[in-house]
Amino acid sequence: MSWFWRGLRAGVLTEGPAPEALPESLSPGLPRATEFSTPAQAAEIAARCPTGALEAQDRVVGVQPDRCVDCMRCKSAQEWRHDVRWAHPDAVERFGSRFKHSIHVRIIDAGDCGSCLNELAQLTGPSYNLHRFGIFITPTPRQADVLLVVGPVTRQMAGPLKVAYEAMPSPKRVLAVGACAASGGIFGPSVMSAGGAADAVPVDLTVPGCPPPPLAIIGALRALCGQEPPA
Amino acid sequence: MLSDVLNVLRSIWPSIEWRVDDGSIVAVLPREDLRAVAKYFSAQRWRLGTIVATEGRHELELRYCFYATAHPGWAQLIIALNPVDRTIASLTPVTIAADWFEREIEDLFSVRFAQHPRLGDFVLHDDQWAENAGLMRPFVQSGEDLPVQRREWRPKRVLEEEGAFVMPVGPVYSGGAESALFLLETVGEDVVRATPRLFYKYRAIEKIAQGRTAADALLLAERCAGTSAIGNGLAYCRAVERALGATLTRRSEALRGFFAELERLRHHMTSIREICESTSLSVAASQALWLEEQFLRISGELCGHRYLFGVLAIGGLQRDFADPALEACLRKADALRPKVDALRGALERSSSFLDRIERVGIVDREAAQTFELVGPFARAAAISADMRAVQPYAPYSGLEFNVPIEEEGDGYARLRVLFAEMEESVRIMAALCRDLPADGTRIDAAMRAGRGLGWSEAPRGASLAWVELEADGTVSRYRLTPPSFRNWHGFHVATESFAFQDFPIVLATLDLSVAENDR
Amino acid sequence: MNQLPLLLTGIAVAVALAGAVVALVLPERRAPALLLVASCIAATLALVAGGAVLLGGASGDRLLWSFPVLGPIAVGTTPLGALFACVAAFVYIPTSIYSLRYLDRYRHEYSLRAFSSWYCVLLAAIIAIFICRDIVSFFIVWEVVAIASAALVAYEWRRERNVRAAFIMLAMSEAGTIAAMAAMLLARAGSGSLLFGVPAGGLSAVAAWTIFMLSFFGFGVKAGLLPVNSWLPRAHPVAPGNVSALLSGVILNLGVYGIVLVNVELVPVRFAGEGIVVLAIGAASALIGILYATIEDDLKVMLAYSSVENLGIAVTALGVAFVFTAAHQSVFAALGFAAGIYHVANHSAYKGLLFLGAATLDARLGGRSMNRLGGLIRILPATTAFFFVGVLAIAAIPPLNGFVSEWLTFQALLRAVELSPLGLRIVFALCGAILALTAALAVTCFVKAFGMTFLGKARTPLPRVGEAPSTMRLGMALLALECIGLGVLPTYVLPVIGRAAADFFGSGTIVTALIPQFFRPAAPPNPLPPDFVATFHALGAQIGMGLPGRGWVAMLRGGSANPVVFAMSTTYLTFIIIALLGVTYGVVALVTRRRAIDRSRVWAGGLRSLLPEMTYTATGFSNPVRVIFNAIFNPTEVENDRETIYEHFRSAIRRRREDVFSADRVLAEPVAQAVRRFASFLARMHHGRLPAYVGYALGTLVVALAIVIWM
Ligand code: SF4
Ligand code: SF4
Repeated sequence: MSWFWRGLRAGVLTEGPAPEALPESLSPGLPRATEFSTPAQAAEIAARCPTGALEAQDRVVGVQPDRCVDCMRCKSAQEWRHDVRWAHPDAVERFGSRFKHSIHVRIIDAGDCGSCLNELAQLTGPSYNLHRFGIFITPTPRQADVLLVVGPVTRQMAGPLKVAYEAMPSPKRVLAVGACAASGGIFGPSVMSAGGAADAVPVDLTVPGCPPPPLAIIGALRALCGQEPPA
Repeated sequence: MLSDVLNVLRSIWPSIEWRVDDGSIVAVLPREDLRAVAKYFSAQRWRLGTIVATEGRHELELRYCFYATAHPGWAQLIIALNPVDRTIASLTPVTIAADWFEREIEDLFSVRFAQHPRLGDFVLHDDQWAENAGLMRPFVQSGEDLPVQRREWRPKRVLEEEGAFVMPVGPVYSGGAESALFLLETVGEDVVRATPRLFYKYRAIEKIAQGRTAADALLLAERCAGTSAIGNGLAYCRAVERALGATLTRRSEALRGFFAELERLRHHMTSIREICESTSLSVAASQALWLEEQFLRISGELCGHRYLFGVLAIGGLQRDFADPALEACLRKADALRPKVDALRGALERSSSFLDRIERVGIVDREAAQTFELVGPFARAAAISADMRAVQPYAPYSGLEFNVPIEEEGDGYARLRVLFAEMEESVRIMAALCRDLPADGTRIDAAMRAGRGLGWSEAPRGASLAWVELEADGTVSRYRLTPPSFRNWHGFHVATESFAFQDFPIVLATLDLSVAENDR
Repeated sequence: MNQLPLLLTGIAVAVALAGAVVALVLPERRAPALLLVASCIAATLALVAGGAVLLGGASGDRLLWSFPVLGPIAVGTTPLGALFACVAAFVYIPTSIYSLRYLDRYRHEYSLRAFSSWYCVLLAAIIAIFICRDIVSFFIVWEVVAIASAALVAYEWRRERNVRAAFIMLAMSEAGTIAAMAAMLLARAGSGSLLFGVPAGGLSAVAAWTIFMLSFFGFGVKAGLLPVNSWLPRAHPVAPGNVSALLSGVILNLGVYGIVLVNVELVPVRFAGEGIVVLAIGAASALIGILYATIEDDLKVMLAYSSVENLGIAVTALGVAFVFTAAHQSVFAALGFAAGIYHVANHSAYKGLLFLGAATLDARLGGRSMNRLGGLIRILPATTAFFFVGVLAIAAIPPLNGFVSEWLTFQALLRAVELSPLGLRIVFALCGAILALTAALAVTCFVKAFGMTFLGKARTPLPRVGEAPSTMRLGMALLALECIGLGVLPTYVLPVIGRAAADFFGSGTIVTALIPQFFRPAAPPNPLPPDFVATFHALGAQIGMGLPGRGWVAMLRGGSANPVVFAMSTTYLTFIIIALLGVTYGVVALVTRRRAIDRSRVWAGGLRSLLPEMTYTATGFSNPVRVIFNAIFNPTEVENDRETIYEHFRSAIRRRREDVFSADRVLAEPVAQAVRRFASFLARMHHGRLPAYVGYALGTLVVALAIVIWM
């Protein structure tokens, strides 16, 4: 009973709709294409990137967000964006309007480092309160509409991932969360990982980031069920 | 001290050439002497830190790293193996802690350990890869090089009773749990024994690291377990810096300590949250989640990344942090302390909660000693095993701090250790902040060939790294021994005979990371 | 005087006996066919005769001889005997059909001729026993039954365990026979005649109690009641499958027949206390039986314990009948009687069916342990279907037969309100609670039996076999039909039982009490009071007038103390269930008509498939029951070993526990020990000195004289 009162006393801790520019406490942000003064400088910046997310074309350094692993080496030079619309569709196929109000999500850890999962755990917490959007985490793929994949899909997890995907009733969608699931991140493609979820299951939407902040993941889930458009 | 040990060793094994190198006793042993020497070290309460296997084109070498618990000092026993024969007597009969190391090396280097009681189906799963696939051997370049073999895998069963069966949990189970398979042996109702089948998430970090630059391999070290990026990253950095012979600025050492404690703070909050969740105490779990989020935000605000990625760098830190920012961070962390204390008080007054975590998953002192457990897991069983105290390193060598210890070894003891360590972490952060040197945060270490051993006390316990560098600064061998790998080895001790519904609680209180173990 | 039924019964016995003789001379491979023909003819004749007695009212006929040594021998048909004979025939016919091919498994190993011969002898004796109307012939035939059934149990005589079980069975049966015989002789002592037909003279209370206790104990052995049923869980697993069906479906009934014969016909119950004893023993048997059945993993042993439970329920109902008889409430007594007899008949049908099902598994797959079987629905679909009917019936799921008799039993127990002594009411309430617990456990038990055996996946690799031969299936199908018939048409079965009860509780009681034609407006023969009928008409009961089969409702009107009405109709329920299933199917088909159906593998946490060792075992399923009722099972831990390599590698945890059947614990083992001690005492007496023997002889003489003089 005392817990009940403690809960009530804590009041509402959920913050309102996401501000357009997130502070760094909520999100590290994502690098975005930046123009430099000389091609040489651009090349130097692009060479800093360990995963090839930065690509210099003349004076502009373009970004492939899927590959960025938040190593922060380009942070001092490259421009970074601080919005929440990180998700981008691989194949624009969203649920019909019938799923607009509620979807169930099965999370699959296909080799993540723990941070992506931890951010997902935060989603259901009081700060983000995923349930208010009608989005629920379910333990069984049988009830799931969305398969949320984190991690680079190791070879030993590819099997279970496929089995889980097959176990879901259609219509079903796959959301790849994190640089690892998007492109293999820092780990792949390599000996034990083929490089991202798309190798094992058809991915519908991808959220880059290492790890993507909770608000970006919420944005992606809402985009997937048609509550708001993807970026 | 180390020199005394050296003298004793020289008197017992005069034929072996013992020397001291960079704080370590180093010796190349003949294969036959290994067990006797290891037994000697174990008897002197030295602990087995790790076993490093390295295979070059024509040589195969095993390096057994022990560390003393009574005084600073390491020992590296090197055995050169015949790369064709690849056989050596297992150390497990003498030092049980060698068990999993040997199983791992058997899978990854195809080394045969004679008299090891249980090999196979460890890192590389039997139903997917051929036994002795030898992933780490030089000839394996990509996944396609691995010999595949589809065999039927059957769980190893220990319980022999009429009607006994294996209840599988995983590899995909519960809401957002890490992937691992648990085989619970039972006859219904009570679980007699639980065996984990890990390495579903095996990413072969050690293999990937080979050939990358030292700086890029740091990213791997951080992301081995994102929830203890500093802990494991620090061990790696220290190993590389040892290899390069670099001496760091005092400021960067202090800041590293600061971040390590910040991470410990946040990590322990996560563990406490998981314990609350496992007992379905949803209000407490929500409050812990909120607190955890506050720690994440504090971290993000200070360094731009909620999980402290990209803070460390070889030779110091990636960038400097202004003193006021650090102080603000400390203030905020300190301001959360009353809230954490309130949660702790409420939990400790909640008898239904205590009923569920008291006397579950008991690991007694003896078991913790034998399996050489580390971190809060060990500290709850009255074994300190804190690298900050046992093998002090900067900045802790010059600091006064407590290592909280509990006796019972049950879930509640572990929870108390977590809370106590959080308090201690804030205190250490404050102490480090008090007089920060201003001698810069990064040195430019010149690359050179070398090898080095690094360690740190990550949130879950001792993290060890062994690094070998080429002259151009690329990594030729990175061996990391994360704390979870050590502690999963003790998992079955905590799970002999428990009620099935307590399984999530036992699991949560053990505070084990699958990612960190699987690497 | 209509002698026809008696004549037919006589012919039936003769046919069976002839079969027994011919079987011995026929070639080995023809024996099963002979068994089938002879026993079917005999059983059908018995059935016809019984039917004639029950439906045609051709009873009470006596035919008497008088033998100089044995005294008068009387045979005759009674409705009660006819009823039991019909039940026996209803089990015997399908079992015989089933046996034709089932016996294949013993060919070349054991003599089929011997089997067929004993089988026919047993049938002859069983038919005959229901027409024996005097003590001498009754017990002679009774002994034949005992010996023939023991011989059949020990059929696979090369296994020591079987022979032992048969001997235990025979020994216990003999002890029971002696007690029962003593009781009967005592009962006849008053009348001075050994014939059943002569009414008993006035008996003192002590004599009446002695007769009651002795006979209840004696026939309780046969009926498998606590605490004298140790033979049952031993004999069943070793007996051939078809013999098990007979043991449970026919032989156990003889015990009930005996109890009814003594307490209803020969020495009608006078004291409520007698009823209470019956009630208590019945309820205890039911609970203990089902508890052991629930934790048992061997299908046949489980069924054997379940027989203890079912006979316990039937006897509980009889106990109710006895209490009400003593209280002179013949309507409720008849109700209890009907419930008990109905339950016996039901048990014969579904237990016969289940044993045949178990025998099929044994024959096809060579094993009966639920921990090894699993997923048989895919290889034995027909057997699965029949077994399922049996399981539904035994778990008392409406509209099958088990439900009807358990409903009646509970109704009878609920009538406790009509009894004035508070003590009696409390006992009734307690027994009701025990039976409710039993019913719940029975569901658990048979969910486990069916689920573990036929559903899921095999726990060990099973041989690839096909369905059982058609005659075996036919045997099971007949029994399944009986289960359905007895369940769906109770209002046709009850009048038949009513006929048997008429002699003791007044004619028409059961029909009047249970099958009122309340749809009909107060037509003259309607015994219901007009205002009662009017109430129901106000509720719309007259709508039922247009329905076929007006009597398809069993309804119990409360007495004066408690005018509550309980009613049920499995018949209408059947139609409703069929209609509901049809509608559901139709709706689903309609809704999903244009939907694609996703089929995928069972979700096993990401594992490709579950391995056989990962499926729930039968032991695991019933472990909660084992834990909760640990005090009753009182298991002994035989083994608890923990093995390690290098001190820390757990290589094996070996545990084994043994549950001793509580009846063994409280009675059989102490008795066996006493006998052993007595035997060794006797051995010590025989030390070979002459004076000692002279002393023994003198002592015996003195004791004998004393007895004679006292009498
Ligand atoms: S932060 Fe991202 S884009 Fe920038 S260098 Fe690192 S990985 Fe590349
Ligand atoms: S994307 Fe980054 S945070 Fe997420 S699992 Fe991969 S390494 Fe970890």
